Amino acid sequence: MSQSKQNLLSNIVIYTLLVFGAMLTLVPFLYMISTALKGPVYVFEYPPRFIPAEPTLDNFIAAWTSKRFDRYFLNSLFVTIGTTLLVVFLSSMMAFAFARFNFVFKKTLYYSIMIFMMLPAMILIVPQFILASKLKLLDSLPAVIMVYTALNIPLNTFILTGFLKQVPKELEEAARIDGASSWSIYWKIMLPLSKPALATAAIFSSLGAWDEYVWALTVLNDPIKRTLPVGIAAFHGVFYSDWGLVFAASLIAILPTITLFILLQRYFVKGTISGAIKG
Amino acid sequence: MKKQVLVPIVLLTLFSLFFSACAPTSTPTTEEPIAKVVKETVKETVEVMVTPTPQPEGPVTITFWHTYTEVSPEDDMLNTLISIFEEQHPDIKVEPLNVPWEDFRTKLFTSIAGGIAPDLARLDIIWVPELADMGALHALDELMTDFDQYKDAVFPGPLSTTFWKGNYYGLPMTTNTKAWIYNQEMYDAAGITAPAQSIDELQEQCDAIKAANPDAYLFAADGTWAWVTLPWIWSFGGEVTDPDVTKATGYLNGPNSVAAYEFWLEMYNNGCFAPVMLGSGIDPFTGYAQDIYANIDNGPWTYPIVESQFPEKTVYASPFPAGEGGSINVVGGEDIVLFKQSGHPEEAMEFIRFILSPEYQLRMAEVGQIPVRPDLIESDYIQSHPYFGIFLEQLKTSKARTAHPKWQTMDEIITNAGQLILRGEMTPQEALDAAAAEIDALLGQ
Amino acid sequence: MRLKSIRTSLVPYAFLLPGLLFLATWIVYPMIKALQISAYDWNIMPGQISEFIGLDNYIRAFHDGLFLLSFKNTLLYVVVTVCGQLLLGLFVALMLDHITKGRVFFRTIYYLPVVTSWVVVSLLFKYLFNSSPSGLINYLLVDILHLMSSHVPWLSEPQTSFIAIYCLGVWKGVGWTMVIFLAALQSIPSEFVEVASIDGASGRQIVRHITLPLLLPTIILVMIMLTIGAFQAYIQVALITGGGPVHRTEVLLSYMYDSAFTDLDFGYAAAQSYILIFVVFIISQSQLRLMKSESLQQE
Repeated sequence: MSQSKQNLLSNIVIYTLLVFGAMLTLVPFLYMISTALKGPVYVFEYPPRFIPAEPTLDNFIAAWTSKRFDRYFLNSLFVTIGTTLLVVFLSSMMAFAFARFNFVFKKTLYYSIMIFMMLPAMILIVPQFILASKLKLLDSLPAVIMVYTALNIPLNTFILTGFLKQVPKELEEAARIDGASSWSIYWKIMLPLSKPALATAAIFSSLGAWDEYVWALTVLNDPIKRTLPVGIAAFHGVFYSDWGLVFAASLIAILPTITLFILLQRYFVKGTISGAIKG
Repeated sequence: MKKQVLVPIVLLTLFSLFFSACAPTSTPTTEEPIAKVVKETVKETVEVMVTPTPQPEGPVTITFWHTYTEVSPEDDMLNTLISIFEEQHPDIKVEPLNVPWEDFRTKLFTSIAGGIAPDLARLDIIWVPELADMGALHALDELMTDFDQYKDAVFPGPLSTTFWKGNYYGLPMTTNTKAWIYNQEMYDAAGITAPAQSIDELQEQCDAIKAANPDAYLFAADGTWAWVTLPWIWSFGGEVTDPDVTKATGYLNGPNSVAAYEFWLEMYNNGCFAPVMLGSGIDPFTGYAQDIYANIDNGPWTYPIVESQFPEKTVYASPFPAGEGGSINVVGGEDIVLFKQSGHPEEAMEFIRFILSPEYQLRMAEVGQIPVRPDLIESDYIQSHPYFGIFLEQLKTSKARTAHPKWQTMDEIITNAGQLILRGEMTPQEALDAAAAEIDALLGQ
Repeated sequence: MRLKSIRTSLVPYAFLLPGLLFLATWIVYPMIKALQISAYDWNIMPGQISEFIGLDNYIRAFHDGLFLLSFKNTLLYVVVTVCGQLLLGLFVALMLDHITKGRVFFRTIYYLPVVTSWVVVSLLFKYLFNSSPSGLINYLLVDILHLMSSHVPWLSEPQTSFIAIYCLGVWKGVGWTMVIFLAALQSIPSEFVEVASIDGASGRQIVRHITLPLLLPTIILVMIMLTIGAFQAYIQVALITGGGPVHRTEVLLSYMYDSAFTDLDFGYAAAQSYILIFVVFIISQSQLRLMKSESLQQE
């Protein structure tokens, strides 16, 4: 077979496989959308249908207008924005210290923080609960933000340190000769230069905060304070689940993340890679 | 790398010495070797954690936990009633919190531990002894000056669910039981003329159902926990424990209880009982509405749920089919309890009084909650209530589950035994023998 | 002059302080506290006394049938899903590297599960794998593809429940590994491949003898990260099976969480956490060592 024919054949095979894989990936999502448009009687109808027999927006309306779902959305927004701001700020400050200074204990501290990245976050949940209880922070959104922040600092510090190391020394030296303080170097030089890395850090901490479930479930009692993941899980009961409602709520919840992802893909991808490859 | 791993570890150890020195903990003084005894006696005397802070002028807010789902008729009615109460008591605000039933007990415990227990809770009757035993609840008969007035106004059966070791730790809020909910459409298709009056009729009815539709089932329940299996155990003449609740051997594994499980196993293997009781499948309500399940054993809430989710389906109820022991179902319900950690016991008790009032009880009856006041049962409203009739009849013979602080664990043991039996891993006798032995050990502690 | 140098030498610490404060409070202190709790029969009720029991919680874990079962379940989950994500991710990456058009399109689609919340996808898969004939997976297997004669009660049995959970684990992570491998592949200098094909090597030979060896460090790195991630499986089990039936699908974290928040046995749960940390540490260290020896070999 000639080279070009072989290429064509392998291309056809590859594209077919890729399309098949894409379908496997998408079918669950499509079925979720389909079920969200079904009334309770159709949720387990036999045979199941991809196109609902009587599509209805009732589930979406119920999800949004039911007592607190819009509240859950706002709570998640509040927690996510709070976490992201704190993480970006604190991580970049730490990264600045690690990347541009030499000091005693530097390597120790750096490696300690890296070790934290390997910790399964959930193992800390019991003592974190006890601590929140002692600080009288149980059933509060600040407790949620603080734990999320702490959990996201290590990885983002790591990413930002790698990035800041690459800023040319001359820039910093020139600024120091001009009498700039460390703070203004940080604020006026390092931060603006690291916008892509900051964006990546922001995206990762946002994603983490938006989707986190276990800590929010454990520390929050009051339904008014629930975040989206907890709210969605609550729509799904042990004895009876209104699947249409669950998926309508889910779709509303994942819409922001998917939109963000599609628009800012390259940051997601870059962040994933730099988190992994440089490690 | 080794050095760099070592140093953080050393640092961590140093940190730990530092932190544990200043970390307040409830650590024991290690002089006493009587730690176990200390734990037992301390259980009976838990201090009130929260000292009421001086309240600023303005309405007092009391928190009330319940398990009504967010988008439900009961929840709506509750909020309506709360507004009425708040109008009558401008100085009190009631903040309801819905906590899903499956998380309720856990959240309650962790909140008590964290000092943020609610003021009031609509507590499943089976957990009252446990919480009372822990010392988390106020003894209402001592705290409420007019307690006797309310005590006399409620059914004695539900009232007894709040009684533990000499005191009443709450008042009944709702009572309920289950009945045999049957699917008229499937009966018509199968040629069944009337719901079964006795368990003996069930096999024949199953054959008819399956002849009309091989994919249908005679009966479905979504698990093997006590709430599901007890009606069968009791109707077969079996029991869980002796009357004094000291042991299960001879009762849970007695001939009648074993016969009940053997019947279950046979029905399951025949395809008469739906496989959803093993963990997954179509839930009873959906299956009932889709005409796959001919009968389910459920309570009055079935009516509002089916009406809102499956408006095309009509619900019919009949007494539970009788066995050797009669037609016996399980008493369920909730009690209103007041937590010792509450900073506003007086205001909370006002709300308790409102809950026990005819107005509250009757309005809740509109959403399927059976009142606990005998005087209301005679009222026109209840007598002509569209669906309470069968349940009120069934209530006359229904029994309560064992009132014991360890009931939660006993329930798990019973649940597991049922699962092992249906999965064919143990015979009913074997599984129940093992379960009875486990419960004996539990009760002996 | 001295003062200034002291002040300047304090500057980095000033920048570190806020972050370190957070970490110390919410990570370091809890870690130490967990160690302390694990040595006690911790009583969570206010005003109660906790009894010091030393290593009893740890010893208990190793005699606890359920703990050992959850351990085994976790190990299986790790092995299956890590292999699945690794192999499929690599395979898709190789394909995407080969094509010229549509790369971003496919990459976007494959990455979608990665950015979707675990809660949502767990509930989704629970619904898809419903045990009744109207569950989508059952319907596809029985009625459409005719691969099976009767429907499978997926979530009523531990083994089949795990199949559903493994599928979820792999489905959710393939996009992530694919992205990393794709980047690694694209950083391989094209001269390597060109020289080889000029020498007459076939596509397959190039992959086997050039691409894969060059990718080895990345493969091992991905393996380490996937392993650490897989040990943390919780939501998928908690929401799909709840650890059931009869606790047979428990994994380390679900059993730990139940010990803590259902049985209220904080001491035991803390001991389980430390055992898990230990295991993850050992495994990732050995994987790291593997990576070091591989990269040494390459030189």
